[in-house]
Amino acid sequence: MSDNHFVNDPKKWVEEYSDMLYQFALKRIADKEYAKDLVQETFISAWKNVHQFNASASFKTWIVTILKNKIIDHYRKTAVNTQSTMVEAESVFFDEADHWREGYYPVEWQVTATADNKLESFEFMKVLQSCKSKLKEIQQQVFALKYLEGMESEEICKALSITSANYWVIIHRAKVQLRACLEKKWFA
Amino acid sequence: MRITCKSASEYIVRKEEGKISFKQRIQLFIHLIECSLCKRFSKQNKPINLLLKKEVTTPETLTADQKSSIIRKMEEAEQDNKEA
Repeated sequence: MSDNHFVNDPKKWVEEYSDMLYQFALKRIADKEYAKDLVQETFISAWKNVHQFNASASFKTWIVTILKNKIIDHYRKTAVNTQSTMVEAESVFFDEADHWREGYYPVEWQVTATADNKLESFEFMKVLQSCKSKLKEIQQQVFALKYLEGMESEEICKALSITSANYWVIIHRAKVQLRACLEKKWFA
Repeated sequence: MRITCKSASEYIVRKEEGKISFKQRIQLFIHLIECSLCKRFSKQNKPINLLLKKEVTTPETLTADQKSSIIRKMEEAEQDNKEA
């Protein structure tokens, strides 16, 4: 960052990056108030630690990384509280023999996703968001780390302090639930 | 050797990341030949993955008040630092 005025002006930082950071946070944290708080904390810790910023790097990348770390810290705190109940919880989707339960059979979708632009339409993305929001917090968090951040399962387990067995239960159940919700709300 | 639908759907999710053994891969392959429900699950899983990777742009922004409050807190933080 060559512009010294920029470095020393909190107003310019907030003007330039607050909405971008807020939107980044909203994709990963359902609670708006909490997302706003994390953005504020990000600005404050970036401001305090600006001497650590390497001028040859991108300021945007640097400040997004600070926010990302704060989001993962938050995820870890919620993960600790939920994981003990995850493994044993039974699922409605499978019967006693662990086959698809009648009434929960996956059905053929009318539109195939490959050739259909409808799947990326605004309305569909709204349905997807609403189905995602019905998942447990930890399921949404694992989805965000896996699909938005592109993290591998080992990294996610480490970041959230969860076991590998729990990770697969969380992601498997989340997938089954999300699929069923999309089917009910969009494809049926 | 046969696996249940619950295991098969879990293997499908594991397979995305390559976290599946050779034996499990064969078991899944056989299961998918015989089970049209899991085959459907597997087919539908692919577009779902693509969609999950999409970042939905939210038009929401912070209010002017929220922004000035952040700026104020940053200025306070700076003073804390100087005094320390």
